[in-house]
Amino acid sequence: MTGLNLLRVVLALLGLGIGFLMVYLVRRERLHGNYAAWWISVSTCVIVFGMFPRVIDWIGALLGVRYPPILLVVVALLLVLVKLLTNDLDRTRHKRKLRYLAQRIAILEHDLKRTRRD
Amino acid sequence: MADSPPLRLAVVLPAYNEAGNLVEVLARLGRIPVDEIVVVDDMSSDATATVARAAGVTVLSMPFHFGAWTATQTGLRYAFRHGYDCVVTMDADGQHDPESIIALVEPIASGDAEVVIGACVSRASRQRRLVWRYLRWLSGLDIADLTSGFRAYSRRAIAVAASWPATSFDYQDVGLLLLLRRRGMRIIEREVAMSARRDGKSRIFSSWFQVARYVAFSSMHGWSKRADSRVPPRLPGTTRA
Repeated sequence: MTGLNLLRVVLALLGLGIGFLMVYLVRRERLHGNYAAWWISVSTCVIVFGMFPRVIDWIGALLGVRYPPILLVVVALLLVLVKLLTNDLDRTRHKRKLRYLAQRIAILEHDLKRTRRD
Repeated sequence: MADSPPLRLAVVLPAYNEAGNLVEVLARLGRIPVDEIVVVDDMSSDATATVARAAGVTVLSMPFHFGAWTATQTGLRYAFRHGYDCVVTMDADGQHDPESIIALVEPIASGDAEVVIGACVSRASRQRRLVWRYLRWLSGLDIADLTSGFRAYSRRAIAVAASWPATSFDYQDVGLLLLLRRRGMRIIEREVAMSARRDGKSRIFSSWFQVARYVAFSSMHGWSKRADSRVPPRLPGTTRA
């Protein structure tokens, strides 16, 4: 098997591995909705670009990119930035909800104790 | 004209490890005519909650430590839920003089303002004055004592301060004041006397890192929402055009 074909097989197996792992995590309720969809898309891209690297050359030629492989690196970096931003937006939302819940607990605990005393 | 019913007044004190100061603060507060005193224990590791309970005041215990603003907002939400017309927030470290509460509440009772800030500019260090000047310039807020936690809120203002958008603030200063302005609240200041802190340590200016964090967070609010400082106040019972 040539080096290039071996690489394709490894990347395809990697993509399949990520895909199966995501399905397993969804079945076990460890990964939810949007997050699972993101990672399944990632594994699909790894399989497609790993097995058919010419696709990147074709897209690069279409966009007028002189060195097509860098397109994959740039797009991957941009997607990582987007993912980091959406993670922080999620955390901000969760932080707000956590504070609100903590406040409600403090108030309700007090009101409950008072009701029991009365 | 019939006399309007007296305001139902609550005092809220966010407290974090203030067991040493709280006895005297609550004793002094006990001499002021208020309907309820609420100590919000921000998960103190000392006997803050025990001391407050022994004094017979309402104690709300936070399940996690979130900081002074979240604890204060908890007290405001409690007061709103229990129908109070006015809330005075003050520190539990003995810096704020309970006798000044009457001066803060008067403009609320007469309907001249929705938020009254107890200001004491003379207490500020040069560092603090520089930060105030910078934040005033950035945010457009024309308030002398931006960091004073000694405030009176009317019921309308309590509703704004207890609202969902105010939940994610880390401090009760620039972000909250701009939100109150955006919702048409009239904010005024009253000069009050303040004592030195018993332990001498500021919560906001406790270290250079804390100062930098405070300035950075307040700058983000001040810059992004500076237009709110120019929103004209809206009198109760009127709607904006």
